[in-house]
Amino acid sequence: MSPTADPAGATAVELTDVRKSYGAKHAVDGVTLTVPRGEFFGLLGPNGAGKTTLVEIMEGLRKPDAGTVSVLGHQPARREKSLLPRLGVQTQSSAFFVRLTAREHLETVAALYGVAPDAVGTTLETVGLTAHAEVRVDDLSGGQRQRLAIASALVHEPELIFLDEPTAALDPQARRDLWQVLRDLKGAGRTIVYTTHHLDEAQELCDRVGIMVNGSITALDTPGRLIAAGTGNTRLLVPAARLPLDTARTLPGVETATVDGDMVVLVTTDSGTTLAEVAKVAGLEGVQTRTVSLEDVYLQLTGTA
Amino acid sequence: MSAYTALSQAGYRASVRDKTTLFFTFAFPLIFLVVFGLIFAGQALEDSGRTYISYTAPGVLSWGVGNAALFGIGFVLMQWRRDDLLRLIRMTPTSLPSVLASRYTLALGIGVVQAVLFVAVAMLPPFRLTLDSGWPLALPVLFLGITTFLTMGVIVGSIATTPEAVAAIANCVMVPMAFLSGSFLPMDMMPGWIQAVSWALPLRYFNDAISAALVGSGDMGDIAVGCAGLLAFTVVFGAIALKTFRWSNHS
Repeated sequence: MSPTADPAGATAVELTDVRKSYGAKHAVDGVTLTVPRGEFFGLLGPNGAGKTTLVEIMEGLRKPDAGTVSVLGHQPARREKSLLPRLGVQTQSSAFFVRLTAREHLETVAALYGVAPDAVGTTLETVGLTAHAEVRVDDLSGGQRQRLAIASALVHEPELIFLDEPTAALDPQARRDLWQVLRDLKGAGRTIVYTTHHLDEAQELCDRVGIMVNGSITALDTPGRLIAAGTGNTRLLVPAARLPLDTARTLPGVETATVDGDMVVLVTTDSGTTLAEVAKVAGLEGVQTRTVSLEDVYLQLTGTA
Repeated sequence: MSAYTALSQAGYRASVRDKTTLFFTFAFPLIFLVVFGLIFAGQALEDSGRTYISYTAPGVLSWGVGNAALFGIGFVLMQWRRDDLLRLIRMTPTSLPSVLASRYTLALGIGVVQAVLFVAVAMLPPFRLTLDSGWPLALPVLFLGITTFLTMGVIVGSIATTPEAVAAIANCVMVPMAFLSGSFLPMDMMPGWIQAVSWALPLRYFNDAISAALVGSGDMGDIAVGCAGLLAFTVVFGAIALKTFRWSNHS
């Protein structure tokens, strides 16, 4: 689809066979991807898979060697002044004006985007930095710096937001708080493209995820459908004291049985039948079931399982 | 608030909040004034009959101002690129000229304060510098000199990726140039070939023009030659600076 075939502007990002090499390394190796407006899109993949390069191509910071890129109907590499304020980009947690306070930094960023500093206070509130607004950026903790970097992407109220591992340095509470911020942004109709290593988070937040391996997107769907399409295996964890390994291997439906600490781990294709048998021979007390998560699908696809 | 104003304000705050750097920016040329002033106290130059202080003060001043302009922008550019702040700026509609203009304003401000402080101290006993009536002409020369050394600093800040590299490159440029351009020692004391080489260095033109304006060591023609030289170097270094400027350390 070309931008002209999208008169209603329903597409936020459209990539067609995008390629980018560094020497002999194909960082991005033929990616075709469409992100509709209002979608929360997660880009997953191991380090070095090309996620950051791909996002930077969408941001216009890098030019692809081949392929077409359309962001909100524009070519981002042209750095058109009408496009830039509509994009929000989370910076590195080091990209601050030295010796300024969090508020002063954000006011400067707002001015760079040509917007009034009115939004600075509410943006600090959004990312939970109000109490630290007057602290120098150099004195902020790792998590606080990260939240300020996210605030830098939001202060001008962009339509399309790029976040690069936004929850990486956050403690569990701050992470949950940020989830809410991201959900609210999506609720307000913003499009979010983000990279993460937290698969539970991607499963929780994303409308769709793309799993990137060696420069290509190897899976692209909703987390639910990816999980359903993945392995049908369920794992049962039974206290080892009550189920000898030899017995476990003979139970119906069991593919493999291994000992992990004080539990026997059964991988089964037919969890109902296996569970019924386990109930007979060992009882169900302390038995845990592990269904497939996005993490399993991810590990399978990235070849690390 | 415009991007230019915001960036100037951010730069101003960063400067005044770094008290150590601020102090030494202004103290550095004064230290040289004191050292050379004490070594050559009361001595006159053989040929011209000028006091040594009337020779060394303008030279040390132009060197100190050029040094601060080069180091200042060199460090800031290296740091902004290393911290990815340039990437942030690049993602905004703010134009590169606005960014550079804000740094230019700051450099001019620092240079003027340096010069006023320096000349004020040089006029005190025991140095007793006396100003020529044409001293206001030193101001445009000062602005032009700062511009030249700022463009050199942009090149240094684009080449260097660490603070150590900025300091190493800048010192290698500025310290030999100070001696070869006659900032510390009179050109007349130098061998003929060094005097010839000095005309290939921007500091020589800065020294001559500042000296002519401030203490009357030359006439309007000398100031014009100095300004023309600085202008030529600004054009050359500016072109190189545009070529070498990088938004990011990663290609």
